[in-house]
Amino acid sequence: MFFRYASVASAALLTSSFPAQSAAADESLFGSSKLLATPGVIQVEGAGGAGLSTWAMISGYGSNREIGASAHHTYVTTDDFTLNATGVTVGFFDRVELSFTRQWFDTGDAGGRLGLGEGFNFNQDIVGAKVRLFGDAVYAQDTWLPQVSAGIQYKKASEGAIVRAVGAEDDDGFDYYLTASKIFLDKSLVVSAAARLTEANQFGLLGFGGPNGGHSVQFEGSAVYLLSQDFAVGFDYRTKPDNLAFAEEDDAMAAYVVWLPSKHVTVTGALTDLGDIALQGGQQGFYLSLQLGF
Amino acid sequence: MKVFKHLVLAGMIAATPAATTQTAMADSLFEDLGGMTKIERITSRLLDLTFTDPRTAPQFKQTKRDRLEKLLNDQFCELTGGPCKYKGVNMKKSHIKLGITEREFNAMVEQLQAAMDAEDVPYHTQNRFLALLAPMKRDIVER
Ligand code: HEM
Repeated sequence: MFFRYASVASAALLTSSFPAQSAAADESLFGSSKLLATPGVIQVEGAGGAGLSTWAMISGYGSNREIGASAHHTYVTTDDFTLNATGVTVGFFDRVELSFTRQWFDTGDAGGRLGLGEGFNFNQDIVGAKVRLFGDAVYAQDTWLPQVSAGIQYKKASEGAIVRAVGAEDDDGFDYYLTASKIFLDKSLVVSAAARLTEANQFGLLGFGGPNGGHSVQFEGSAVYLLSQDFAVGFDYRTKPDNLAFAEEDDAMAAYVVWLPSKHVTVTGALTDLGDIALQGGQQGFYLSLQLGF
Repeated sequence: MKVFKHLVLAGMIAATPAATTQTAMADSLFEDLGGMTKIERITSRLLDLTFTDPRTAPQFKQTKRDRLEKLLNDQFCELTGGPCKYKGVNMKKSHIKLGITEREFNAMVEQLQAAMDAEDVPYHTQNRFLALLAPMKRDIVER
């Protein structure tokens, strides 16, 4: 009698736990199960976001039980300067994001005019981490509450002596940001806003802090309209500190088109206006970013 | 006079439901999706995929497709503002023991997108529908 009861119970246990186990067995640690477009793209400093701004989404297509990684190369050319950025960004379990990006800022002819020498390069390394705090940008469509994440970026500029000579206090520094993002799926709209505590001059390429100040709170935001399964258009705006005395620093903005032929390839093309950089007026130009991932 | 009043009342009563259905229809997702025939075709295509895609098929080994298909049709119809009533079990009760993952949930969303693509449902209409389904993840996904 007891035996019969026990075997029924264990049979019930088996049938109820079996599907779950077999499902778990063919799950791999690395994967791309997020829905297309929902993680955004890698922004210019390597974090998950859009062109210039960081988003609360964890980068990569890994879902809550997967690790997803991608690499990007970003090329920005303005009237006087060229910026290249290359990096890798990894998302862990849709919770934590780690990134590394190196930027090369080529001063071109302006380098000569600034007395640095033609084609002089300012480089920097950026190590970033982001953690998702609460909220759900994608699934919680019955509330306007956003997903909120906090992030940190450590930046180290290559030309310590020169950035100090132009007035920067340091050649390295930390940015801290809090970002809130939401996909309004019924409107096919993505909205994101972030506050960044930073002392980075021109993203950090011209060092950190200066005669006009140190850390200050800056704003960055995006609005993106999902045109179709594989195309989106958007606009980013980002304010920047103005710590250096020798040249005024302006806000940056970009209007872009994103093409998402698959979860593994993302291409962003943008018109960007970075304002005055190092006394070279009105740096407008083109931004192109290729991202490959799984 | 009394007759006239009655006539007016009758006219109003007759007109009201029609008028409300008309306005409800005007911005109804149910209509934009293409009504019941279209929903049935979408559900059918969805289940064709769900029952064969290795990402989801294992969960449905014991499932009677006809019953599920009927329930989904009613649910989708009611959810989008159509004239149906879903009579099945709620989402939490019907999925709680299945240990459904986010990966499986997303796979099914992708199948639904493919089904709607095949039925020529415009992308933005698809998103309006997905916006109604997305919050169900809370009740459906266990881990
Ligand atoms: C928004 C997404 C989903 C909706 C709207 C949905 C809807 C439903 C409905 C209406 C039922 C019938 C409930 C009843 O028996 O009264 C059901 C049952 C079921 N669902 Fe889902 N579901 C969703 C996602 C999923 C996912 C992702 C899976 C697994 C991959 C899944 C697996 C099942 C299974 C195995 C049953 C039981 C069928 C049976 O009776 O044998 N569902 N679902």
